[in-house]
Amino acid sequence: MPLWPFGMLTKESPGLGRVLVVDDEENVRKIVRLTLTKAGYDVEEAEDGGKAIEVLNSGENPLMVDVIICDIRMPRINGVEAIEYFLAQYPSIPIIVQTGYPDLQLSTSLMKQGVVDYLVKPVERDKLLSAVEKALERRSIFKF
Amino acid sequence: MASGEPINVIILGAGKGGTALIELFTSCAGVKIVGVADANPDASGLQQARLLNIPTSTDAASLIARGGADLIVDVTGDPAMPALIAERKPPGVESLSGNAARLVWSLIQDEQELREHLVHTEKLATLGTLAASVAHEVNNPLHWILGFAQLIQEEKKPAVIKEYAQEIVESVEQLSEIAKSLSMYSQASYQGEPVRIQLSDQLDNAVKVAKFATILDEVEIIRNYAPVPEIQADSGDLIQAFLTLLVNGAQAMKGRGQLTLATFDKGDLVTASIHDTGPWIPPEQREKLFAPFFTTKPGGTGTGMALYVVRSLVQKHGGRIVVESEEGQGTTFSIQFPQSNRA
Repeated sequence: MPLWPFGMLTKESPGLGRVLVVDDEENVRKIVRLTLTKAGYDVEEAEDGGKAIEVLNSGENPLMVDVIICDIRMPRINGVEAIEYFLAQYPSIPIIVQTGYPDLQLSTSLMKQGVVDYLVKPVERDKLLSAVEKALERRSIFKF
Repeated sequence: MASGEPINVIILGAGKGGTALIELFTSCAGVKIVGVADANPDASGLQQARLLNIPTSTDAASLIARGGADLIVDVTGDPAMPALIAERKPPGVESLSGNAARLVWSLIQDEQELREHLVHTEKLATLGTLAASVAHEVNNPLHWILGFAQLIQEEKKPAVIKEYAQEIVESVEQLSEIAKSLSMYSQASYQGEPVRIQLSDQLDNAVKVAKFATILDEVEIIRNYAPVPEIQADSGDLIQAFLTLLVNGAQAMKGRGQLTLATFDKGDLVTASIHDTGPWIPPEQREKLFAPFFTTKPGGTGTGMALYVVRSLVQKHGGRIVVESEEGQGTTFSIQFPQSNRA
């Protein structure tokens, strides 16, 4: 069980945290949603970078999202473009990349830019859960 | 003949040797073929010459007498031919026959072997670029299988378990599709034997492989297949040619636009064409497209050999490749095969 980030208590969500999953594959979103919901998280979904930006800017407080899990290869606004935007606009929201591309150069460059984890599919449940926990710890550091 | 002007050549004999000469000379700027003769009106070289708008004849003697040539190359193998050439050729015209012609022929065979190696190398290079995307395409369904299997381990409701199991079944089906496309590509690449081929099937096969070579997520594929006769060809060569054109088209459009695939039968030509909605190619670049080492791709990303290889593959089948491009209209590559390739 992760430590409850302190800021979380003031939120509407009673869960462990709210995770936004950005992936064009419905099955990937479904697995993340089912896995994380079971573990006690709330999950929002977006099918591409553009939709993700919409979700984050949808009038609700963007800080309602605690972690973003983002694919790289997606139509329209791709993952790299979307991540750049997230990092610039919402620097306090930790980002986890979950992709089918085992690309060392890209992973290094993204981690340098501030992405907290680079997961290469197939991703086991425990790996996903620990990545989200780790990301939330980072989020709570930002909060204090 | 002033230097710099092409050497006008007549080819006598349009069998294997003559066809190879046509193929080689048409890609040489310094040589212009002004006539091809063979006693057999259906000889492969004559068919190809007609396709290229080169005058043909079934009577060597009259072609020689017609003039307009600087050089006559005799690859008929006919022992009576050198005497006939000497008798009929206008003064000043040189001729190449006997051992001299055999020497040229063996040089050409050497050159052809090199071309085949080049084609093989290009296919291997394509496989290399496919590998990275294949990893991505395979990892997705693997991810679903792992994900749903782990969800099943914790799930108690039979109906939900059944649903997840179905997702796993579909993921496996997707994986086996990927394996099928790839093995189709590699098998076809090394088959090397002409078989009966429906051009639309090969275009479809090339699309299946193309998604591993470039990103087609936002490319709309439109198919306009008119019924055409089957042709006799090497399926690996055709897939390679179509694949190159599809990938180039998609990349020219920066991954966004329409690719229109068509087959049609016009006159005595069976044609397969690929049209992209990318920026047009100006005439001065169009001429260089098929030259070896010509590339417009930024440093190091293109070998400049792909289209050269496409043209070699098409010519090997007695066909030709035509490119049309207009500002605002995109670009069309058409591969035309003579009806003689009908299966």
